[in-house]
Amino acid sequence: MLLWIVLFALVTSPLGLLGRRTPRPLIGWGLAVLPLSLFVLLALQIPLIASGGRLDEAVPWVPAMGLELRFSLDGLGMLFALIITGIGTLIVGYAGAYMANDAGLGRFLVYMFLFMGAMLGVVLAGNILTMFVFWELTSITSYLLIGYKHDYPDARRGAQQSLLITGIGGLALLLGLLILAAAAQQVGVSVADSYRFDALIAAGEQIRQTALYAPAVALIFLGCFTKSAQFPFHFWLPGAMQAPTPASAFLHSATMVKAGIYLLARLSPGLGETLLWNGTLVAVGGFTFVFGSIVAFRQYDIKALLAYTTLSMLGGLVMMIGLGGKYGAEALVTGILAHALYKSSLFMVAGIIDHEAGTRDLNKLGALRRYMPITMVVTAIALLSQMGIPILMGFVSKEWMLKAALESSLPAPWPLVALVAIVIGAVGYIIAAWRLFRNAFLGEPSPTVQKHHLVDPKWSMLLSPAVPSALSLILPLGLLPAVSSLLSPAASAVYGAPFTFELYLYRGVNTALLISLGVIAVGALFATQQQRLAAQKIIASINGAVVFDKLIEGLLAFATGMTRMIQSGRLRTYLLYVVLVFMLFVGTPFVAYGLDDIRFVLDENLRFYEVVVTALIPIAVIATIAASSRLGAIIALGVAGAMVALIFVLFSAPDLALTQLLIEVLSTVFLLFVFSVLPSRFASLSPAWVRWRDAFIATVFGVMMAMLVLAASSNTDFPSLAPWFLANSLSEGKGANVVNVILVDFRGFDTLGEITVLFIAVLGIYGLLRFRRVKPDVRASGRDAQTIMPGEDTLLAGNGASAAGEHQVSAGVEPSAVRAKR
Amino acid sequence: MYESVILRTVARVMMPLLLLLSVFMLLRGHNLPGGGFIGGLLASAAIIMQIIAFGPTFARKVIRVGYLNMAAFGVFFGALWGLPALFFNLPYMDAFWINDPIPGIGKIGTPVLFDVGVFLAVIGVTTRVALLLAEEPELFPMYVQAETEE
Repeated sequence: MLLWIVLFALVTSPLGLLGRRTPRPLIGWGLAVLPLSLFVLLALQIPLIASGGRLDEAVPWVPAMGLELRFSLDGLGMLFALIITGIGTLIVGYAGAYMANDAGLGRFLVYMFLFMGAMLGVVLAGNILTMFVFWELTSITSYLLIGYKHDYPDARRGAQQSLLITGIGGLALLLGLLILAAAAQQVGVSVADSYRFDALIAAGEQIRQTALYAPAVALIFLGCFTKSAQFPFHFWLPGAMQAPTPASAFLHSATMVKAGIYLLARLSPGLGETLLWNGTLVAVGGFTFVFGSIVAFRQYDIKALLAYTTLSMLGGLVMMIGLGGKYGAEALVTGILAHALYKSSLFMVAGIIDHEAGTRDLNKLGALRRYMPITMVVTAIALLSQMGIPILMGFVSKEWMLKAALESSLPAPWPLVALVAIVIGAVGYIIAAWRLFRNAFLGEPSPTVQKHHLVDPKWSMLLSPAVPSALSLILPLGLLPAVSSLLSPAASAVYGAPFTFELYLYRGVNTALLISLGVIAVGALFATQQQRLAAQKIIASINGAVVFDKLIEGLLAFATGMTRMIQSGRLRTYLLYVVLVFMLFVGTPFVAYGLDDIRFVLDENLRFYEVVVTALIPIAVIATIAASSRLGAIIALGVAGAMVALIFVLFSAPDLALTQLLIEVLSTVFLLFVFSVLPSRFASLSPAWVRWRDAFIATVFGVMMAMLVLAASSNTDFPSLAPWFLANSLSEGKGANVVNVILVDFRGFDTLGEITVLFIAVLGIYGLLRFRRVKPDVRASGRDAQTIMPGEDTLLAGNGASAAGEHQVSAGVEPSAVRAKR
Repeated sequence: MYESVILRTVARVMMPLLLLLSVFMLLRGHNLPGGGFIGGLLASAAIIMQIIAFGPTFARKVIRVGYLNMAAFGVFFGALWGLPALFFNLPYMDAFWINDPIPGIGKIGTPVLFDVGVFLAVIGVTTRVALLLAEEPELFPMYVQAETEE
């Protein structure tokens, strides 16, 4: 069923294109049925999950390597999946009304549905590789959504920034997950199981002892912190507010940014309970919490203000994972629910204000209470929840956060750090919320407001923010037991062992309640001063975006420099780099490990003519080097090639001999084609030291290749493949010519790769010869020795490479096979 | 390219023979020395001989194919014959054979057809490169022409 849920969300995404037609509000709400049906389907599983059960489904792919499509549903996945589909339903309906005059709604909804499927994949995945695929898909769909208004430079910039940041994080995460799986394999988890969340968590205790633990955790942190906009990677989130408001409400507050939180929470029972894990999370999360809430109340743009409170809250949630223990887990899941409810509502209200008044600038709004009373009520409830005022969901959530800090079992400084962060952050929330409410709804109407004819929007638009807002009030008043039974299994998954807990509004006076009330009092005091506070220049200078831009600029400059150095346009330089790199990466391990394999045994049946033919090859090579005319060099090179062909004939390898001869002939023809443009003077133009250097490198490389071949043919550690090919060629491959059967059947896939490479080479040559820019000065001195002719260079290189490729395939198997034939 | 009567006469006579030989090489390849790669090189050698003897324009007129398309088709055709195996839930490129040999051609199976793809790809690539060089104005100003083949 889980597989079908994810597939359904992805496959039905093209239905979003219906949004091109009108009436869009109606189509929006019609399409909202899709996520709603998934919501209902998931909600039906609540009894199973609440009773401690779980769903597990797998489609194996390469079981031996642990590659599979695995989905599992437990409490934590259920909480997230319900938020995704529930809020998703409201957002899709809202988007139809919000973008009623935008024909792009079709495209927008397709991205939204795709995102929803990807996000469901993340939270339902039971295999870390499955999860990673969907994780990256959320980054891509987020990029498409942020860049939705792609004719605005800011939107493009925001989209690119978020993609780069989350993309870099994604790479780090992949590496971290692979290291984690490797660590699990070290401690005895089978390869097939080592990519499964449940197996990893079960083996957590031993994994924490391995040396791989620290690097794995560091890389996973990098992935999660970038995704969940933790300081110092937070800056992409405000930039992402270029997305249309429905996308901001959905991706950048309720769902996608919580993917990092989700993964940390998911892994914490296995990887947690170390100072590295808990300390880092409390420190980073706590700082982000405080930073976001302080920056938030200085914003003028409603969406920017909400973006900073969001990243602040993400910090708070990370901190809860860091605090750990039962209370940490409870505070985390409660916080996720409370935040998803009030923040999605607030974003949608921001969209309504923007839609109706034409601006989101707090300085240009005012007195909206007179025109939009219902909107005001919806906003007020959501803001009260954000402030953590009693009897709202936000209050419950803050109570539990305080409790988690007070009851934490972490060593000395961390609980205090967390407590201070919560207090400062909560005060900031109150100031920010009051600032939003006061400037938008109270006071005198501004000129902008007076210009518009403002009314409450239709219910098709107002319903979506109203529902989560109302839930923020109804849940704590009447439904706390039901909520607790939903959240208990989620908290159990984070804690690592099943337990239940009861949320409550008031159970006598305790420390948490007192702190909470104190925070409200201090917040109220500061809130009256919000205008003055906003004008303070406190931490305005911390701007990660600037640093990021500098980094990207530096990277581009570095890449340009590297390209200039490597892409010189001279064949000899390319060859030099290729040979040097090859010597480094093949030569080094060969010298270290492979030299013992070399055994040189003189064949007793060696014939006189075999010696002569072989001896002619080095003689021809020396003649090529020493030749005084170009034609002489070409002929000498031909002699070397012909002798190689002759050796193939002597050792009865007619296929190779034929190929070698044909290649020799065609190479010579191609050389002659370009003969007329080569300088008439055949002399060495390089300085002496370059020639000596090249001679040295060539010699070393040649000797190394010879040694490699010798070592490969005298190595007896592995049984030779040749007998198998000889035995099976006729029966399995239906052919008596073993070489050809290998080429087209046994190793046919290699041949397919080779002809593809050939085709790519001809395209390259075509481009170089036909589309090159002709420089006038080069043309004029076209016969000059120093002229660079990219066409020829590549032609020769391409031709040589393809010929060499063919030889490798056949030569690798051939000599021994031929020997056996004799 | 070189207006030599001997070369032209030889080229004229040899061309059909060489092309026939290349097809022969292709078909016998599975049991005797030969195969798509060797056959392809032979065929392109035959065509290149035309280019050298009569110039690229004439060579194009004699054999009217787009060599770039031919190369692309060769790769495609070769890849195509790996597909049937997938329908039988076998790995890509698993071979299928017709049991009875066809007179004059021999046994036919997907590897042979794959070899035909190799044959075409090699002819296309090699000849196209030769044509590119022969039609390069800087190399051979006498053959400069407005040509847009493929």
